[in-house]
Amino acid sequence: MLSLVLWLAGMVFEFLLLVRSVQTKTVTKYIYFYAYIFCVFAVSTVLYIERSKPNFYDAWYWPTQFATLAVGFGVVLEVVRQALDAYPGAKRFAWRASCAVFAVTFCYVEWRVARRTEWTTLAATVELERDLRVVEALVLATVLAIVFYYRIELGKNVTGMILGFGVYVSVSLTTLALRSFVGPRFDVAWGLLQSASFVFGTAVWTVALWSYSPNPKPPTTGRGGRGDGGYDALVRGTRAQLESVRSNLRGVAGS
Amino acid sequence: MIGLVLYLLVGVGLLVILWVLARRERAPVEGCGRQFVEARQALRTLQLGLLPDNLIKRIFDREDFRYVMAMSPGEIGELFLQERKRISLMWLRRVRCEIRNLMQFHLNYSRLHAKLSLLTEIRLALDFTLLLLACRALRMLLYMRGPYGAGAMVGVLTAAAGRVCASSEKSLAFLNPPALESIRRDSAGDGATI
Repeated sequence: MLSLVLWLAGMVFEFLLLVRSVQTKTVTKYIYFYAYIFCVFAVSTVLYIERSKPNFYDAWYWPTQFATLAVGFGVVLEVVRQALDAYPGAKRFAWRASCAVFAVTFCYVEWRVARRTEWTTLAATVELERDLRVVEALVLATVLAIVFYYRIELGKNVTGMILGFGVYVSVSLTTLALRSFVGPRFDVAWGLLQSASFVFGTAVWTVALWSYSPNPKPPTTGRGGRGDGGYDALVRGTRAQLESVRSNLRGVAGS
Repeated sequence: MIGLVLYLLVGVGLLVILWVLARRERAPVEGCGRQFVEARQALRTLQLGLLPDNLIKRIFDREDFRYVMAMSPGEIGELFLQERKRISLMWLRRVRCEIRNLMQFHLNYSRLHAKLSLLTEIRLALDFTLLLLACRALRMLLYMRGPYGAGAMVGVLTAAAGRVCASSEKSLAFLNPPALESIRRDSAGDGATI
């Protein structure tokens, strides 16, 4: 009963999000994010309508789960695109770091899958989803680390996107890990926790994306930033200053 | 079991980061001009106010202490030592604060440059971190051994300095724009042009 309530609540929030995206015209601004919401909404609706058909839900749950999981990477992509768009340097940093994290984690997952002799069972599928959630979690954490390091201001929309998706990914990952460890006994709790975290995520998105609230624009430097040779000079300047401070401290230490 | 712990760590770690994000205070979006002026001020404070040789010598030179000990009773010497320790700690606190300002100054500008290099940024971040840690270590030494007991820091700072010296170039192009220098040279000497 509770799982059905959560399912319906999620669909209501998804529907609201889609309606508001059209009303506020944010659908064109956050296209990857709304593609994900549309995909999840379509899958949830079809599964809900057809749930009474024998074997329909069991047969289609995992294939559709993987489809939404793949489209879910669009949310991470959207976060990087929106959060760092005004900061070309930080954006470049984030893309490279995210690609490195993605490549390393994905290779590890592939290696695990290749070693598996049988992977048609539910347990193997759960492990695969868990590993892909790790990729999402690590990429998201990398992007957030860069946002904190460069003290980048985020708007309400992007903050909401990150919080909602992050909580869902985090809870999914934790419960999937516990499911692999505990086994089928954990299935009921796992299903409820995952659904609840998704409903929480959609609620956060609905509040955060109710109206368009872009990221604050960074102050322009007026010093020839954005793609010119100024970066080299900046690094040289910073290093020279660092060295100056360091040599003076060395003098103190040696006195 | 180790796998489970790792997965749980990633999941819980992400939740903690999200918690920090949710509680993060919004920094005021200031004009670039103000930031630049503040950053320049921080650099000038470091260069001219806190790090000149004569100031550092004045604070950390043992000669003053020897003189006081030779010329006055031991209590005065103790008092002098306490005061000198307080001054050296204040000085170090200011230096640390200005280093952080310098770091912030670099981050504020580098994030806008499309040519930003991942490796360079990581190296600089490590350098800043090492320097800040060195400041902290120096502070502990000053607390424990007084203003004249910081000699043990030499090894740590020299090693950190060696790495940076190898890759650093002694250019102040960004902080002393050539255009400004040429104007200064062309001015009448009383600084009227500037």
